[in-house]
Amino acid sequence: MKLSWIFGSSMGAHHLLASYLIVWLIQGGYAAWIAWQWARAGKQLQTTRSASSELGS
Amino acid sequence: MVKHSRIFGVAGMVWVALTLAAIAYATRLALVVAPTEATMGNVQRIFYYHVPTSMLSLLFPYVNFVASLFYLYWRRRDPLRALTADAVAISAAEVTVVYSSICLLTGMLWGRAAWGIWWTWDARLTSMLLLWLLYVSYLMLRKLSSTGQTQTLAAVLSVFAAIDVPIVYMSIQWWRTQHPAPVFFGGADSGIDPSMMPAFVWNIVGWAMWGIFLLLFRYGLERRRQESEQASAQKAIEGSLEVAQ
Repeated sequence: MKLSWIFGSSMGAHHLLASYLIVWLIQGGYAAWIAWQWARAGKQLQTTRSASSELGS
Repeated sequence: MVKHSRIFGVAGMVWVALTLAAIAYATRLALVVAPTEATMGNVQRIFYYHVPTSMLSLLFPYVNFVASLFYLYWRRRDPLRALTADAVAISAAEVTVVYSSICLLTGMLWGRAAWGIWWTWDARLTSMLLLWLLYVSYLMLRKLSSTGQTQTLAAVLSVFAAIDVPIVYMSIQWWRTQHPAPVFFGGADSGIDPSMMPAFVWNIVGWAMWGIFLLLFRYGLERRRQESEQASAQKAIEGSLEVAQ
């Protein structure tokens, strides 16, 4: 079966395409946000640790 | 100091690869292999994303609920364990909001095409919206509250929020309104055509695996933040000791 019907002009086709895109956008966006925060938190942790070790020495 | 958990190693990469493969296969089954439904036509294929994510959006609140109970139990007895439980709780609350948002949005898109309306104050839709609002309030409380009791207040709120989950689940059996009756476990007339089952089951598997990945990834982030906060506090103490000397 071909997938071309998904790009059709009917409301059903539009809503089906929109539903699948929304799912991928929300899930992918949330995963990307966690990855970004993960990197930021790691950098912050490193800075705090190096500042702390400078204080100690 | 909180011991940092390394979850995003090789095992994490393998898990993500398997998850993406499962989702890709499930999507192909849903869009290409599954037969077109006789009454609604192709728009019925929203079902393969809408129902699995809706089912999962009723499971993650229980992770939040159990973790919150552990937090309340451990917060005075074992604060380090309480922090672990709190990290699980906030992760599960966020994943709940993600899955319930998808449930509501895909449901609205399907409703507009199938019923001709975007929204109706039907028992299932209203109780699901309430669930979404409860977990959004949980996250807002955690973000905006500046008292030292934020985690405890959030844990108590999550215990009350979990009460809505069985109400959402049972709403289509207790009240017969606009939303269709249960597709599964709904009596003699319920169920789907066997040819639709592979697409449905694979979407449950794929999105459940993705949900577990998000939960663990978010948990890792929260633990990293907790560790960073503790390192900052330690630095401040060391700094004040140096000034005193």
